[in-house]
Amino acid sequence: MPRKDLLDIVSLEREEIDHLLDQAVPFKELFTRSVKKVPALKGKSVLTLFYEPSTRTLSSFEVAANRLSADVTNFAVASSSIVKGESVRETVETLQAMRTDYIIVRHSRSGLPSTIARMTKASVINAGDGAHAHPTQALLDAFTIKEKFPDPTGKRVLIVGDILHSRVARSTSTILKKLGVEVAYLGPGSLVPKVGPENVQRFTNYEEAMKWKPDVVYLLRVQMERQDVQYFPSVREYHRLYGVTEERLRRIDGDGLYIMHPGPVNRGVELCDGVLDYSRSLINDQVENGIAVRMAVLYWLKPGGEVIG
Amino acid sequence: MSLLIRNARIASEDSATLREGDVLVEGGIIRSIGKGLSAPEGAKVIEANGRLVMPAMFDAHVHFREPGQEAKETIATGTEAAINGGITGIVMMPNTKPAIDSAPVVRMVLDSAAKNSRIPVYTSGCITKDRAGKELAGIDGMRGLGVKMLTDDGDSVADPAVLLRAMQYASEFGMFFASHCEVPELAGPRALNEGVVSYRLGIKGTPAAAEEIIIDRDIRLAHAAGAHIHIQHVSSKIGMETIRWWKQRGDVKVTAEVAPHHLLFTEEDIGDFDTHYKMNPPLRTKADTEALLQGLIEGVFDLIATDHAPHTPFEKSQDFVSAPNGITGLETALVSLYHYFVATGKFGWDLVVKRYSAEPRRMMGLEPVPVEEGRPADLILFDTEAETTFSLDFMKSKSRNTPFFDKTLKGRVDLVVLGDQILLER
Ligand SMILES: [Zn+2]
Repeated sequence: MPRKDLLDIVSLEREEIDHLLDQAVPFKELFTRSVKKVPALKGKSVLTLFYEPSTRTLSSFEVAANRLSADVTNFAVASSSIVKGESVRETVETLQAMRTDYIIVRHSRSGLPSTIARMTKASVINAGDGAHAHPTQALLDAFTIKEKFPDPTGKRVLIVGDILHSRVARSTSTILKKLGVEVAYLGPGSLVPKVGPENVQRFTNYEEAMKWKPDVVYLLRVQMERQDVQYFPSVREYHRLYGVTEERLRRIDGDGLYIMHPGPVNRGVELCDGVLDYSRSLINDQVENGIAVRMAVLYWLKPGGEVIG
Repeated sequence: MSLLIRNARIASEDSATLREGDVLVEGGIIRSIGKGLSAPEGAKVIEANGRLVMPAMFDAHVHFREPGQEAKETIATGTEAAINGGITGIVMMPNTKPAIDSAPVVRMVLDSAAKNSRIPVYTSGCITKDRAGKELAGIDGMRGLGVKMLTDDGDSVADPAVLLRAMQYASEFGMFFASHCEVPELAGPRALNEGVVSYRLGIKGTPAAAEEIIIDRDIRLAHAAGAHIHIQHVSSKIGMETIRWWKQRGDVKVTAEVAPHHLLFTEEDIGDFDTHYKMNPPLRTKADTEALLQGLIEGVFDLIATDHAPHTPFEKSQDFVSAPNGITGLETALVSLYHYFVATGKFGWDLVVKRYSAEPRRMMGLEPVPVEEGRPADLILFDTEAETTFSLDFMKSKSRNTPFFDKTLKGRVDLVVLGDQILLER
């Protein structure tokens, strides 16, 4: 049963996740051909509504929609992070009048895509809302891990950094748990909630976390701008305590671990410079897989549902 | 008007068992109670068939948005909603626009109530001008118009020195203080509890400690000032325990209230950003609701009050962070207390009468209204077998921001009598 919207990972069934990840495989194979386009969404209109700047995610969605032959429009919106309900409703009504089939929305406010989804018949894809969810990132992360571990059950992923403010940590850990992967968080005590999700180990010490023997070290971008109060003393201290330093990179290499990062990387903060040449870095795979996964999502959703309220 | 209610069961605050009998009301007074009473000439006769007669409820914590935000609620619509829920007296909170912080605004509110309301309306007054927490409000002028309760509800008085001085000053006039308890620096976008749900939804929550700190602080200040402090809408277990501890000491006059929604719902009910569960203080955990219920049964909470907080459908249809805090409660309170607690044997009708009718009146310096011979008629008839659907047709409030909207619960208010007026008959 296809859905109208993709708002989070929590509400996805295991079968739906498997279906989307399977569907992304042929889309990815398409990239190696000379003609990279299929006519699947010919005549459909896709609108991107990004209240928060993100060149990477925005262009990934644009490329995905283009390869499905959809018409893509970027709806210019004010970069203001505070948006009154009134202007959101007006915007959605405008989009509705333009007979948009898909709305891809990113906003700094948790829950805003859900609000929009209730107002429109178009399919809404959450491209990241506040600290809540980033479902396509989670799908591409799961896809990337499955390329290395076709049966990921029992594999271990250590997510490092600002867990509290990270929608990537929430969505990616949720999808990984649904796939049977063990997840642990590592970060400063002020940024790794004690009452968080179930079945996620919590570490605040790098050495202890490594004794847990992860298969993948997933580094989050340190986002100072999200922090309303100081959560740790300095970026330098953060790098020393939780970053992948040169020495730690050598040990990670020796243990055969993979490194992931949703990008863009703060070099010298989450990671030392040397990571760019690291042979088991999956950071570029994540970018490429993002397009295939987003194609699968667009192809799967069915616009035209009931509008509530 | 003469009214004879036949074959009723009568609830009171001092007895868990219901008395059976007929109730005769004449000239606004309960003339007699007994079996086989005969109806005087021209009397209206209602066959109760075992329905309950009990004192009408009194809600000591409501927000009528007049003056300033009449699109949400007015004194006229708010008091009709109260009657619809079996309530014949309310205390308004002063966070209107302008705030009720001086004699002229109090007079404006009381004038409107005199014109537009069929039940008595009492108003509280602000502690500080415009609820800004800096300068004291026009305390004596408000007292002169009958204001007894002072509160900056919606916010705590952040500066303890301001609150202590206000307490020392106003207690001498016989006024008491009601506290909304919240450390502003610990409050998130004032939307939800800091815990599993705030984590899942990615919204900064407000830890229970933000409330507990101020509960303790304000009682300590009242203790120092010799003031009567009333703690509003307690939502946390430790908050309840703090109040219990202070009450057991016995050297400060402290009362407290709990709202039905804090007894009924938890943070989990927020689900996928449902703004009908967004309120302040926020819904907390199962452990908290269980402790609050225990606190109500033990008497740590002197009264039940709804914190009736109407908002327009448009406002509540915004995203979770933008939507305002609060739900309506006047029309659903009594029926929901019956449906979830009395009908399930958690507590008896005596508790409902004591906590939602008698005690709030006493706190306001009013006489309770027991169904007894010689007392003024201020009573309701309640059907425990019937149901109520909180549909658009049913609701008299201008707003319908309640989790019970369009839902059906057991129990129905069939009759509201105040003096020699029948205010509602179903
Ligand atoms: Zn309040």
